[in-house]
Amino acid sequence: MTSGAALEVSGVSRAFGGVFAVRDANLSVAPGELRAVIGPNGAGKSTLFGLIGGQLAPDAGSVRLDDVRIDRLPPHRRARLGVGVVFQAARIFPGMTTLENVMAGAHATTHAGFLAAAFRLPSHRREEREIRDRAAECLRRTGIEDWAHRPAEELPLGQQRALQLARALCGRPRLLLLDEPASGLRTAERERLATLVEDLRGDGLTILLVEHDVAFVMRLADRVTVLDLGRVIADGTAAEIRADSRVVGAYLGTAA
Amino acid sequence: MNRWLLVAAVVVTLALPPLLPERHLGTFVLLGLAATVTAGVSMLMGYAGQVSLGQASFYAIGGYAAGLLTVHGVPTLAGLLAAPVVAAVAAVLLGAPLLRLRGHHLAFATLAMQLILLSLLGRGDWAGGAIGLQGIPTLPVGGDLGYAYLSWAVLAVVLVISRNIVASRAGRGLRAAATSEIAAAAGGVAIGRYRLTVFALSAAFAGLAGGVYAFYLGYLSPGSFPVLLSIEFVVMAVVGGLGTIAGPVVGATVIVLLVQALNTLGTQPGMPGYAPSVLSYAVYALLLVVTVLYLPRGIVPAVTDRLVKERRP
Ligand SMILES: Nc1ncnc2c1ncn2[C@@H]1O[C@H](COP(=O)(O)OP(=O)(O)OP(=O)(O)O)[C@@H](O)[C@H]1O
Ligand SMILES: [Mg+2]
Repeated sequence: MTSGAALEVSGVSRAFGGVFAVRDANLSVAPGELRAVIGPNGAGKSTLFGLIGGQLAPDAGSVRLDDVRIDRLPPHRRARLGVGVVFQAARIFPGMTTLENVMAGAHATTHAGFLAAAFRLPSHRREEREIRDRAAECLRRTGIEDWAHRPAEELPLGQQRALQLARALCGRPRLLLLDEPASGLRTAERERLATLVEDLRGDGLTILLVEHDVAFVMRLADRVTVLDLGRVIADGTAAEIRADSRVVGAYLGTAA
Repeated sequence: MNRWLLVAAVVVTLALPPLLPERHLGTFVLLGLAATVTAGVSMLMGYAGQVSLGQASFYAIGGYAAGLLTVHGVPTLAGLLAAPVVAAVAAVLLGAPLLRLRGHHLAFATLAMQLILLSLLGRGDWAGGAIGLQGIPTLPVGGDLGYAYLSWAVLAVVLVISRNIVASRAGRGLRAAATSEIAAAAGGVAIGRYRLTVFALSAAFAGLAGGVYAFYLGYLSPGSFPVLLSIEFVVMAVVGGLGTIAGPVVGATVIVLLVQALNTLGTQPGMPGYAPSVLSYAVYALLLVVTVLYLPRGIVPAVTDRLVKERRP
């Protein structure tokens, strides 16, 4: 497995119609760290992920992945540098099988183009075999191998979430953004996800995790960043965050 | 079962040309060419989510490229090979600005592109102007029968290429981008470049067909590439079934046979001179409506769905 990347978010802001969704946010994540990002609804968590993944451009500030500035790059370039995304909404590719969905995720780290495909060049065949093997492994890890040949839109919500994760993993990311991957999952599925996330961290992957289930977060995360009204209001270990009165006031007191 | 269907289709296609009466052989050639262009339109619409109402432009560009080159002494085979290349290059140049548009904006822009091209060809003396480009040499394929096999061989090549691409890394990227651009881009798909590449590929298919067309007829005029032809390609693609490999062939066959029948009807004594074209427009409109209402995914998916259902009751 490839090792995780360091992430450095400095002074990043993004407004929608004059209202800040993220305001002067700073975040420093070490390689291989599992960082949770928590905060009430509308705190700016998904916006922050969008600024890192490239779905949104920042109004100010910078984002660095292993010292490479990525905040002006289009999302596909960031994917190629190792940013993998699991969206809050299950964004699958309907009309394609589950396996094909996951294989599509390998795009970031594979190369065969139209000409190689059109004429079935040896390079294309070799890579296609590799992508298929990789996708099969990702399906196995996320527990949806039985669905491989079903159209993705037929999957239940929990499996669609797993599919999104499998697809992101198939691109061999070095930084994985997980935006509420456990929402809508049943307890057993949630447990399975927690184990998988722990495994991925064991592989050395850097992970950013947004999750409302505080117990889930506190169990997994090395450190926790708390957002409120677009600002980072606290940053520390799970124990430090639990003891922080501002956090309890803004979030834990009301949500937990 | 699918394989046997394919074998049967190939056998019939190979056996048909010598059996056809002379006057229907031409229809057979043009059908092969129309299906070739439609394969590109189908890929564009079905796998990349783009509509082109100007695909006959690239048919024309390929035809004129082959015609002009060979009229000026280039060997015919080189002229034929140049046709798809010139059309693809034109598509890249035109597509770079055009593909910033989406949906019906893009459709109208491609339509405008064709109108501009037709007016340029009509005025350009270098292209024979409104009278047309005369004296294009013929390919050494042995007359109409040869062209019948050539046009369907070209179609076969184009269909194999389409199938190969659809089931590849590039094809998955395209299909992904057609349903969720955000997720596709996050997975590493360079969406802008992909859209341009498919546009160029579909233009190359049309250009190749145009090249064969030029050699087959021996002359070209702007009047051979009306806007109606572009619409015809779209109707063929939709009726046959977008996002299927056999769809373009089935759609083109249905439309060509229908148009043939209507032409016979429209040119009956007593019919006004505009009858054939009015009838064609009416039939395209009617077919589109009927398809969208009753077979929203086109003929080929409807038939295969039914076959699959029958096999597992
Ligand atoms: N595309 C957009 N256009 C306008 N406003 C937006 C847009 N995206 C987010 N916002 C606003 O920015 C703020 C932050 O939204 P964001 O989705 O980042 O919150 P979140 O922390 O992910 O919330 P949740 O827990 O509900 O997912 C909200 O007030 C939201 O309404
Ligand atoms: Mg959110």
